[in-house]
Amino acid sequence: MTIPSFHLFIQTLILGVLVGGVYALMSSGLTLIFGVMRVINVAHGAILILGAFITYVLFQNFQIDPIVSIVITMPLLFGVGWLIQRYILSRIESPEQTSVLVTFALALIMEGILGAIFHTTIRSVKPDYATDAIILASYRFPVTRLMGFASALIVILCLNLILYYTNIGRAIRATMQDPRAAQLVGINVSKISAFAFALGVSTAAAGGSLLSMIYSFNPSSQTDWIAKTLSIIVLGGMGSLPGALVAALILGVMEQLTAIMITLYWSPIVFYFFLFITLIIRPQGLMGEIIREKG
Amino acid sequence: MEKIRIAKVVLPIVLLGILLVYPLVETSQYYQHIMVMTLMAAVMASSWNIIGGYAGYTSLGHAAFFGLGGYLVAWTHNEYGWHPFVSTWFLALVVAGVALAVGWIALRTQGSAFVVVTIAVIFIFRLLALNLSAITNGAQGLTQPRPGWGGVQWSPELMKVPFHYIMLLLLCLTIYSSWRIRQSKFGMGLIAIREDEGKAEAVGIDTMLYKVLAFGISAYFIGVAGGIYSYFFTYIDPGFVFDIFVSVTMVLIAILGGRGTLWGPVLGAFIMQPLANWVVSEFGGTQIHLTVFGGILLFVMLFMPQGILPALNEFLMRWNSKTRSASAN
Repeated sequence: MTIPSFHLFIQTLILGVLVGGVYALMSSGLTLIFGVMRVINVAHGAILILGAFITYVLFQNFQIDPIVSIVITMPLLFGVGWLIQRYILSRIESPEQTSVLVTFALALIMEGILGAIFHTTIRSVKPDYATDAIILASYRFPVTRLMGFASALIVILCLNLILYYTNIGRAIRATMQDPRAAQLVGINVSKISAFAFALGVSTAAAGGSLLSMIYSFNPSSQTDWIAKTLSIIVLGGMGSLPGALVAALILGVMEQLTAIMITLYWSPIVFYFFLFITLIIRPQGLMGEIIREKG
Repeated sequence: MEKIRIAKVVLPIVLLGILLVYPLVETSQYYQHIMVMTLMAAVMASSWNIIGGYAGYTSLGHAAFFGLGGYLVAWTHNEYGWHPFVSTWFLALVVAGVALAVGWIALRTQGSAFVVVTIAVIFIFRLLALNLSAITNGAQGLTQPRPGWGGVQWSPELMKVPFHYIMLLLLCLTIYSSWRIRQSKFGMGLIAIREDEGKAEAVGIDTMLYKVLAFGISAYFIGVAGGIYSYFFTYIDPGFVFDIFVSVTMVLIAILGGRGTLWGPVLGAFIMQPLANWVVSEFGGTQIHLTVFGGILLFVMLFMPQGILPALNEFLMRWNSKTRSASAN
């Protein structure tokens, strides 16, 4: 273990917060879906990678900037998410028990198709500014990460605006609190579920677009992203949106710190370490409620 | 009813008889190979069934115990010359010990959180296997010498036969244990936990102890299978064994045949494993085989989540009562 200098420490914090913002975007949809439907969407990682591949294709063929392509990937995968919920997830009876296997099946189907088209070659999207960085008070701010962070913030802000200032958002939050009571006051819970799932999937699409320029990926890297995003929402408290944001920042920073203090190879262990500690000390996570019922 | 009872005794004996002579009659290496893999799938699904079926805790982490068994056997074989056919039975006790510790933490959670934790367990083991390269040789994995006994290598034509019989022995032991557990107070306790954990606790069952024990036992047979597997292929690497796919395969097999039943996982294995082999040989060149497997999983989860055996049982019961009422008239 190496103790970093003060300068390196601050630099690492900066990078951690920037990457944490993107993690926050990636996991916000996952926790939203769980909150509304009690479904653990294991296909979330595959959707991120799908978003990344769409961005890749748009960049290679039409030179569309990854940030701009969010405008395309989000509505596209919103539709896909709607269809998945409407025709597959709405059929399962006890989501806590079976949703994991059903969504894992969807993840495999997507991974297989992506693998058949793009093979296992590792790819990434490299816009002109990929290696640029802004230097501010002797600290480096890589442009891709800065833009990723900013876009993530904007999408999260929009998500919050929808949830807190629109009728459909109120209906989603009501369903999160108590689906039966929501139904009683006249909310069409199955429609809300479809909307919430599609919304969650579209944030993952945006996350995928950002992922494509920050990380390299191939179809099978989806499993790494499932593990990361699941750990974040467990730490934050499953179903809690603010919890996911805080947890994403914590884990983003801790991951970067581990990478420089121990080695890069061990940095993913941070996620599982926090996952286990959370479950032992505080099973409800930072901001969640205790999940006691068994599906 | 009498007929069903007789069938329950006769069918397993017939099955055992067929499996005993199988490698003598079927000399094709390809089909012998598929049978070894099918027996292994039956062992893993039956063993998973003890925690996943009886106690109702859907663990997706059992691939970790499969891989751990495989790595322990491969490592001790290369390092100390322990023969896998002997060592795997003892090394799987270590696996079960690790599973008890993992279970002690993981089983504090329920439902969704439990599934998430068990997924994380696989990733932790993968990370360890990738990074503790002094023992595991990192991403390259461990290779073992070609199978044999007492310094003599088995001839290539007969290579699969010993593996067939040791896997069959393991399957018999697994089913026997599963049957004994189901008959016992311990098994009743597990089923009570599945039905209503709160009430089970209220009537005096030490639910935590029961669950952790079931978790450990179910890891044992999977650990043994992992040890035999790593010798069968003489090769093991982190990406292949520490994969959710391995866990999901055993869960799918157990659910397809009938989760929580004694013979369901065996039936599921005999359907699923040959099918999986066909899919891989047909589409293995591309990644499309993942899509096909995912499609099968989706189909089973949506249209037959009950499994084959419970559905068959229900059908027989209805048919039975119908014929009885017909004869009464």
